Amino acid sequence: MADVADMITEDLPPARRTARRDRWLGLASFAAMLGVWFALTGSGLWPPLVQPAFLPSPLTVAKTFVKLANTGYQGHTLAHHFLVSLMRFGIAFAFCVVVGVPVGLLMGMHSGVRAALDPPIETTRPIPKLALLPLFIIWFGIGELSKTIVIIAALFPLISISAMQAVRSVSVRKIQAAQSLGANRATIFRRVLLPASLPGIFTGLRVSVGIGVTMLVGAEMVATSDGIAWMALTAADFVQTDVVLVGVLVMAALGYSLDQLFRALERRVVHWAGRE
Amino acid sequence: MMLQSVALAAPPRRAAAKLIVDGVSKRFGAGKDAVPALQPIDLAVGAGEFLSIVGPSGCGKSTLLNIVAGFETPSAGLALLDGNLITAPGPERGVVFQQGALFTWMSVEENIAFGPRALGRSAAEARDIAGRYVELVGLGGFGKRYPYELSGGMQQRVGIARALANEPEVLLMDEPFAALDQQTRELLQEEIRAIWRRTAKTILWVTHSIEEALFLATHVVVMTARPGRIKAAFACGFSRESDPLIGTTPAFAEAKRTIVGLLRQESLEAQRQETRV
Repeated sequence: MADVADMITEDLPPARRTARRDRWLGLASFAAMLGVWFALTGSGLWPPLVQPAFLPSPLTVAKTFVKLANTGYQGHTLAHHFLVSLMRFGIAFAFCVVVGVPVGLLMGMHSGVRAALDPPIETTRPIPKLALLPLFIIWFGIGELSKTIVIIAALFPLISISAMQAVRSVSVRKIQAAQSLGANRATIFRRVLLPASLPGIFTGLRVSVGIGVTMLVGAEMVATSDGIAWMALTAADFVQTDVVLVGVLVMAALGYSLDQLFRALERRVVHWAGRE
Repeated sequence: MMLQSVALAAPPRRAAAKLIVDGVSKRFGAGKDAVPALQPIDLAVGAGEFLSIVGPSGCGKSTLLNIVAGFETPSAGLALLDGNLITAPGPERGVVFQQGALFTWMSVEENIAFGPRALGRSAAEARDIAGRYVELVGLGGFGKRYPYELSGGMQQRVGIARALANEPEVLLMDEPFAALDQQTRELLQEEIRAIWRRTAKTILWVTHSIEEALFLATHVVVMTARPGRIKAAFACGFSRESDPLIGTTPAFAEAKRTIVGLLRQESLEAQRQETRV
């Protein structure tokens, strides 16, 4: 007679089969969403259940995408709108990485720097940064600068504080181990503190990628004539719902690919993270 | 007689000592909130001696080790190595921690090469040294692996190899095998004994296992409940090299009985402290 433990494990599918099933389930729910979209809009096979002005069919959106890619929107190609948005995000993000990470590391290592910088960062952090956009426009004009700064304002505290917390949570034992092996301060920073903080820094970067793309929409709401979010917002004024959807999908794809890129980078660079 | 009471810090021992702990006490915090962790402790450890410190949890035995390592400064008293005052961590005192002290972002070899590199050896030299110590602790073939790919016992081997790679005169070990299963622990105990015999290091070993202390050490110190002081000190010789079954002899049982008796009162006292509101 088989014992109880055997009977239970026999009923459980192997982990790999479970993983494959879960992957299929994920794809299936995407397919279902697309199916509902097809069904609601008729797609030329039957009368649409929803007015095209509210929800154009997936085919229309695909056609619009091709048209926009070829002929552009309001004088600029889709690629131009996309690249302009990517550049706005990229410049702001790069600034936050280059300045925010070192500032956070310093805050984590020196209580003096922390005492000086933590209060201003912490008190301004809860302010919705988009609310500051009008102010930034007055200060920095309606050009690229105010848009970049509003994104920086949102990302900088996130990135610097996650770097600070990453340094502060480095295990004392690892630092003591390095000291007792004869390492000086510079070596401890370069070979212990910095690598040990990388997983925490990466988490902060990945979170801020998502928020950065969100901020892009806000930044392109005013005083511009290009950018992918601007395209969607302008098209909405003319109820060009297909153009709006193209804009939304491009932004979704941008956010998703950046997130995937960072996940892949994370797996490569900090493969040890969370595995003691 | 295999367990013999000794006056550890008596003048003749002191005169020949490698490591001296002289009236070291420690309080944490300041003013009326200060918590005494160690009462004045005197120790003299001769070169090549293997000294085990046993005591109830929270008695300050790790604090004592941290002071010798230079991680903490004593509130009073001095710790001396070869007559030099210990004020900071240093490569002549290798430390092996219980767990979680490996550099998880470095391979086994890189972990072991860290010390030699920090002391100014070239990358090639450090790699050679690392290769040797990987073999020494029985991890041949695992040099390129990362700590997370190893079992707990193998990780401790890396920790030991890393501490040895700088060829320190003194090894400080804070319950290095406490998180391991019984079989792995016994195996590593024998290996650390073998390494100690071969290299004649001076070893300070903190443990809560009486058997471990008796099997490994040349001297055993029993500490009181917090704030810890030395309750008793013994010289002993129960190594398994001469008799693998020494743990079953009446003399061993007798020695264990003596120390268990001493520790029992202290553990009860420690428990009483913990549950006191």
